[in-house]
Amino acid sequence: MLGEDKYFLGVDVGSVSTNIVLLRSDNTVEEALYLRTQGRPMQTIQEGIKLLRTKMRDSAEIVGVGTTGSARQLAATLLGADVVKNEITAHAVAASRVNPQVQTILEIGGQDSKIIIIRDGVVSDFAMNTVCAAGTGSFLDQQAARLSIPIEEFGSLALQAKHPVQIAGRCSVFAESDMIHKQQLGHPLPDILAGLCQAMVRNYLNNVGKNKDIRGPIFFQGGVAANPGICKAFENELGQSIIVPEHYDVMGALGAAYLAQEKAGRRPETRTGFRGLHLGETQFQAKSFECSGCANRCEVVEIMQEGISLARWGDRCGKWSTTAGARTDAGLTESEEEKQRA
Amino acid sequence: MKIGFPRALFYFDYFPFWAGFFHRLNIEVVTSPATHRQIMEQGLKKASDETCLPLKLLAGHIQALKDVDAIFLPRMVSVEPDTYTCPKFLGIPESLFPAVPSGIPVLTVVLNWRKGKRQVLKDLQVFGRQLGKNKAEIRKAFTLGQEWQKRYQDSMGAGWDFEESIREIERAQKGLKDSASPPECGRGQGARTSTSAVSLKEQNTDRLRIALVGHSYLTQESYANLNLLGRLREKTEVQLVQHVSQEDVESHLLGLRKKLFWNHAKQIFGSGNKFVRDHEIDGIIYLSCFGCGTDSMVQELLAWKAREQHKPYMVVTLDEHSGEAGLVTRLEAFLDMVERRRVHEGYVSTYGERLDRDSNTL
Repeated sequence: MLGEDKYFLGVDVGSVSTNIVLLRSDNTVEEALYLRTQGRPMQTIQEGIKLLRTKMRDSAEIVGVGTTGSARQLAATLLGADVVKNEITAHAVAASRVNPQVQTILEIGGQDSKIIIIRDGVVSDFAMNTVCAAGTGSFLDQQAARLSIPIEEFGSLALQAKHPVQIAGRCSVFAESDMIHKQQLGHPLPDILAGLCQAMVRNYLNNVGKNKDIRGPIFFQGGVAANPGICKAFENELGQSIIVPEHYDVMGALGAAYLAQEKAGRRPETRTGFRGLHLGETQFQAKSFECSGCANRCEVVEIMQEGISLARWGDRCGKWSTTAGARTDAGLTESEEEKQRA
Repeated sequence: MKIGFPRALFYFDYFPFWAGFFHRLNIEVVTSPATHRQIMEQGLKKASDETCLPLKLLAGHIQALKDVDAIFLPRMVSVEPDTYTCPKFLGIPESLFPAVPSGIPVLTVVLNWRKGKRQVLKDLQVFGRQLGKNKAEIRKAFTLGQEWQKRYQDSMGAGWDFEESIREIERAQKGLKDSASPPECGRGQGARTSTSAVSLKEQNTDRLRIALVGHSYLTQESYANLNLLGRLREKTEVQLVQHVSQEDVESHLLGLRKKLFWNHAKQIFGSGNKFVRDHEIDGIIYLSCFGCGTDSMVQELLAWKAREQHKPYMVVTLDEHSGEAGLVTRLEAFLDMVERRRVHEGYVSTYGERLDRDSNTL
C-alpha cells in the first residue's frame, strides 16, 4: 500500500478555471485549488503548482498525475502526466466514486455544459452543448458584471425572488436585450435574476438534456453549481432534488486524480512521469508558427522548456508533432502495450 | 477541350459516372485538389452565408479550378426513381454563379431519373450538342458512364476507400492521353477489394465496431470533418453507409409510415437503421453539418430508433471550425463510453481495466 505521504495529482484546465486536486492514498481530498485561467493556462498551472508546493510537506511525494479539460494536452506536457482524459469520463469517474448510485450528472462549466447519464456505474449516454455558449457559466458571469453584482451573490439574490420574470433563454444576445427591457419596466433585481436562472435551465434541458432520461440521484457539478438560484431552478423544472457534491467545482480534477490512481494501481512497477514540483519555477515558452509545407497552413504550437522543445501540436499531417519531445511518444507506446495486454 | 470538375458535393458518389461519360467523349476532365485551407476560405467568402458547409466547399473548389476551358456543374435533380436529391443540389448551378471566376463558362445539364432513362439520355444529348457530339456518341458515353458508376458502386460494398477507388479512375483517365485503350478500372478494383476484405477479417476482433453515418460528402471529406474517419479507423473498425447493400437499405426502410423523398436521406436512414439492429456494431456516430435540412429529420428519426435499441449514438455537427478540441473530446468520450458499456454488458468483467487504455492517442 502507498505510504501516507504519497499523493495523486489531478489537474483540470478549462476555459474559465484551472482546478488542481491533491488526492490522499485513502481517497480523500488533501487539497483542492480553484484558480481562474484568465486565458493564460501555462502560467496558471505553474502558479497552481507553486501554491501547492507551499502547502505540502517536504516529505510529500506525488506518485501519479492525471490531466483533463480543454487544455489537457498542454497540461500533460507541462506536468508530465500519466493519464490524459476527456472531461466527460473524468467527471463521470469522480461522481461515481463519490456516490456509486448516481444516475445523472448535470455539469455546467465556463464555456460548455454537459449531461452525463450513468447506469450501473457506467456512462450510458452523454451530450455536450454545441458551439453556442448561451447556457454556460460565462453568460452568468457577463450578466452579473453588467448588473455590477458579484457573481458570488447572484444565486442568493435570485432566491429572494417572489415573481420570477419570463426571459428568453434561447440565445444570450436575446436574453440580454429581454433582461434590459424588464429592468426598464421596473422589475426588481431578484425577480430578473431568478428569471435568468430559469431561462438558463430551460435552455440547458432543451438543448443538452434533450431526450435524455434524467433519473435521480442527480449530481450537479461544475462552477455554476455554486449558484443556488440555478440549483433551485433545476429542482423546480425536474421535480426532483439535486445533489451538489462537496467538491463540485473541482470534480473534473478529482476524476483525473482517480484515473491516475487507477492506472498506478494496475501498473505499480512504472514510475510516474511527473516532472516535479519545481516546475513552478522553471521557464516555459510557447510559440506558434505557420507551417508552409502545404496549402493547409496549419498553425503549429510548440512548447519549450528552457530552450528545449517539449511538444508540438496543431498540425494535420503529423509532421511536427511526431518529431517533438519523447514524452508524447512514450504515451503512445504505453497505450499500445496496454491494448495488447487487454 | 478541358473540363473542370470540382471535388465536392456530387463528386463523392457520382464522379465515376461523369468520368466515364467524358472519357468516352475524349474530353479531358480536371478535378480540383483535395480540400485545403485556402479552398475552404475561398468558399466561405463566395458562397451565400445561409447555405450549408458542403455547398460552401463546392464554391471554394470551383475557384480552385485553374486552366480549364469550362466548369461542369450538373443539376442532379434525381439519381434514382421515386427520389429527389437535396433541394440545394437542385439550385446548382445558379446558386453558385457568384463563385465562378469571370470569363470561365459553366456547362450544365439536368439529370433527372424520375423521368426515366429515356429522358435522361435525351437531356444528355441536348447537352452533347454544346460539346459538338452527336447522339450516337452521347449514347455510348452514357453507357460507359453507367458502367463505371456500377463498378464503383459494386466495389463499395466490400472495398474501403473512396479516394482509392477514385485514384483508380483518375489513373485510367491519365491513360487517356497516351492511348485510347479501354480503362481497366473495374479489374484493378476487384483485386484490391478482395485483399482488403481478407485483411479485414484478420484484424483483431476485439476492436470496437463503430458505424459512421452521414452524407458521403461529409464523411469522406477529410479536411472539413477534421479527419474524423481517419481518427476512427485508427482505433476502431468503421462501417459506412456505402458498405451497406441496397437490399439491406431497402428492407430497413419498411417500418416507415411514409417514404423518404431524398435519396441520400434514404440511404442514411436505411443503413443507419440496419446498424442500430446489428449486434456487431457497438455504436453509431451521425456526422451532420449546420443547416442541413434533410439531416434535421433523419437524424431525429435515427436517434429515436437508437434509443429504442439502447444503441450508443452520437451526433457530430460540423461547421467551419478548424479547432479540433471539441471533436476530439466528444469522440474520445464516446469511444470510452462504448468501450465501458461493452465491458459492462457481459464479456469478462474488467471494470476499470480498460478505462484509460487508449488515453492520449487521439
